[in-house]
This record gives sequence, C-alpha cells and structure tokens, in this order.
Amino acid sequence: MRLRVWFDRLVVLLILLAAWQAGSAVFGAYWLSSPWATISRFFVSLSDGELVRHGSYTITEALAGSVIGGVPAVLLPFVLRRQPIIVAILDPFMVGGYGAPKLAFAPLFILWFGIGIESKIALVAAVVFFIVYFSTLSGVRALDTKLVQMAQVVGASERQVGRHIVFPGAVPAIFAGFRIAVPYAIGGAVIAELISSNRGLGYLVQTGAMNFDTTQVFVAILAAALIVHAFIALVDLAERFLLRWRPRGAALIVDHGT
Amino acid sequence: MAAMLEIRGLGKRFPARAGREPPPWIIQDMTFSVGAGELLTIVGPSGAGKSTLLNIIAQIDTASEGEIVFDGVLTVSPGQKSLRPGLDRRIGYVTQDDNLLPWRTTIDNVLFPLEVQGGIDDAARARAAELIQAVGLVGFERYYPHELSGGMRKRAALIRTLVYDPPVILMDEPFAAVDAQTRTQLQEDLLRLWSLKRKTIVFVTHDITEAIALGDRALVLSRRPARIAGEHAIPIPRPRNIKDIFTLPGFAAIHQRIRADVQ
Repeated sequence: MRLRVWFDRLVVLLILLAAWQAGSAVFGAYWLSSPWATISRFFVSLSDGELVRHGSYTITEALAGSVIGGVPAVLLPFVLRRQPIIVAILDPFMVGGYGAPKLAFAPLFILWFGIGIESKIALVAAVVFFIVYFSTLSGVRALDTKLVQMAQVVGASERQVGRHIVFPGAVPAIFAGFRIAVPYAIGGAVIAELISSNRGLGYLVQTGAMNFDTTQVFVAILAAALIVHAFIALVDLAERFLLRWRPRGAALIVDHGT
Repeated sequence: MAAMLEIRGLGKRFPARAGREPPPWIIQDMTFSVGAGELLTIVGPSGAGKSTLLNIIAQIDTASEGEIVFDGVLTVSPGQKSLRPGLDRRIGYVTQDDNLLPWRTTIDNVLFPLEVQGGIDDAARARAAELIQAVGLVGFERYYPHELSGGMRKRAALIRTLVYDPPVILMDEPFAAVDAQTRTQLQEDLLRLWSLKRKTIVFVTHDITEAIALGDRALVLSRRPARIAGEHAIPIPRPRNIKDIFTLPGFAAIHQRIRADVQ
C-alpha cells in the first residue's frame, strides 16, 4: 500500500516534469526554464552556499513572524475564555483582519519598519496571527463542558480547569492552525522580500526575473516549496508526539468560520 | 441513622423564554433524605429528571424551589447566588459518561482529583495503586482511555471518585452502557468497595434489578414532573450474591412492588 502510493507519486512527478519540459521546449528556455536546468542550478546554488544564505534568511523571517504572531494568537482565546462579550465585540474586527489581504500591507510595513528583516517579520506575524487565532478559538469553543464539570466537582479551580481541561482539549486545533499557517508564513516572507529586499528567496525571484533568468526564479520557488514541506513535516512530528493520546485516524474537524 | 443529605421540597424548571409559556416542571415537590453510610438507589423511567436531580445535589445545576441540607448545613436554597460544584470535594459524582480526560493515562486520570487538590504524594500513589488493584486495572495504568474497553473506563471513572474519599457519592446510571456480564462485575466491585468503607451513596438507575441488588432502600420516581412515587426498604441481607440475586428470597416480591410503582 505505502509502496504503491510512493510509486504513484513518482508517476505524477514524472508527468509534471514532462509537461514542464514540453512547455519549456515549446516556449523556449528563455521564457520558461527547463526542469533539468532548474534542478542542476538548484544543486549548484545549494553547494556554493548561495541558496542556504537566502533560504535561511527567509526561514528566519518565517519563524520569527510565526512566533510573534502565533503566540498571542494562541494565548488570546484562552485569556478571553471567560469574557465572551469581549470576544463578541472583537469578532467583526478579527474577521476583518482575517479577510483583509495582508500581502497588500507589505508596502505599509516596509514604510513603517524599513526594508530590513523587521518589515518581513511583521507581515508574516500578521498573516499567521489570524489563522492561528481562529483555529485556537474554535478549539477553545469546542470545549467539552462535561469534562469541565467533572473537574469542578473534584475541586479544580478556574485556573486548573484552563490548564488541565481547556488547553489540552484545544491543542489539536492549535496544531491545525499552525499547519495551515506554514505555507502562508513562508509565502508572506517571500512576497515581502519580492517588494524590497537584498536577501532571501523573494530577492532571488526578483533579481532572477529582472535578469530574465527564469531558472533562478524556479530555483527559488522550488526551495520555498521544499521548506514548506519540511516545516509541515516538523509540525506533524511534534503533533504525533504531543497528541499520542488520540486514537489513530481520528478525524480533526477545524472550523474556520466566523 | 443520621441524615447525611436532606432534600426538601425540591423543584426544577428551566427558565422561561421571552413570550412563551413557562416551561413545565422537571422535578416537583421532591422530599427525601439519605442516611449516613446508606446506599440509596433511585429508580425511574428514562427522561424522568434523575440526572437533573443529581446535578442539583452536586451543585452543577441550580434548584428552582426547595432546599438541600448537607450534614446539617443548608447548602442549596432558592436564593442561592453561586454554585459550589462538588461542595468542596464532599460530594463525588460518577456521571453516566465516564468523562475521563482523553489526554491522560488511566493512572493520571485516577490521580487527577488529588493533583488539583494540592499535589500527589506517596500516600496518594499508594491509594491509587490499591484501587487500581481492587477493580482489576493492573497493567493498564499507562493506557489512554481510547485504548480501554467500556467496562475498564467505567472502573477508572469510579475509582477516580473513590480516590479522594468524598463522604457522599452520587452515581448516575454509571453501568448503563456496558454489557450485562460486565455490569454484574462492576456492581460486585462497587458493593465490595462500599462494604470496606461505608460511604453515603445515591445511585440512580432505570434498572429495577440493579436498584434492588445494590440498595439498602429504593426510591421510585414518577414520570415528569418527577416526584417520589414510592419508597421501598430492600429486605435482602448483605453480603449479596449479585449473580444470583433473582433467586434470593424476597427478590420477587420487592421487584413486583417496585415495578407496580414505576409507571
């Protein structure tokens, strides 16, 4: 079964590469770099340290932004758990923030925080915050009141209920939020770099496009996709450890509605 | 027998919604008392308000009318401002669902009350181990609830309440969802534990046989609104052999009398 899946994936990969190769042949490598050129440049760029330098910059932005945006996004629903009125008051603004195209804020952040790493981190934080906030909120709201009553009957204080019942119950939703946020975090960092930067994968895309070097553009995009893969794998690993109490194959329902 | 719990004129209806008829009474004019060390069973049809009654006694729900006196002190009254769930750990509550914390192993679920009540010491661990032994959960201490059978989960939930030794324990059809054989085993476990340490137990069930097998006395509830429809002392001496409870003298007669009240 597993082997079969990997084999089929290989087939899909080959089909995609063939389509890409065909496109490159039809339009010319000048407009659309070939897969072979991209992959060989990828490894050259990796070995001469160029890709590591730019990639690590993007990863730093994404990580810092995820922490700065993610930590308050996790804490806020817990702090406001006993304040449903405040949550209700905030709700339209949160939905507005969630729905607003954060990438459009990139020029503003550059205006406010400069063209250095700070403006990229700010953009990633803004993107991650709303995704994780709504996911955590749904986890806190899905709280099993019977477990809370049980805890109160055996003498748990409000704080203990939060720590022993509400928080562990919301962990699956928090993980779901971060898993969804990973590609947005990397993507946000790359887009911010595209607009103004002298480092990072977005910078590689930008200079590649300016020099009509589509191979470099593809290398940067490939690197970003691989980084997303790696981070999702890390999130999955952490989740499997922290949620080992869950029956295997349990479906996770995450409500990203209002 | 000194009364541990006195329920006086208890009534419950949920609050009226604006512009509607006031909702019907769920419990009305209910008066009974439970002696210290008594195992009182309450039998009534499904949906008769049995769970609501226990929720009010456990103080996770409010009463609309009447009072409850716990060990001589008035604890529930209509003008009550706030609830005190579990009455400072003096009322234990084994609910219909086991309500085990899915992220805790058996042992950590059993120790949970002690943990929130100020920490786990060696005595606490020893007591938990003793109870785990008593209900046959040895070897399953490190299992998560989803890895346990229904009967095992019930046992874990039961000893989670016993571990902190509340003087009064409320039980809401705790064995309703398991098969007949497991149920008999659980009933025997309960009676054995109870005979060691005579707690005051209020045990709610819809099963007349269970009410007879376990109880010193059985109250029968009517359909909604729940009132006391009958009260029966169970004349079967202890220790009782639950497997053969049907064959014991007096069983048939008491079963018939209770059955006549359950209508």
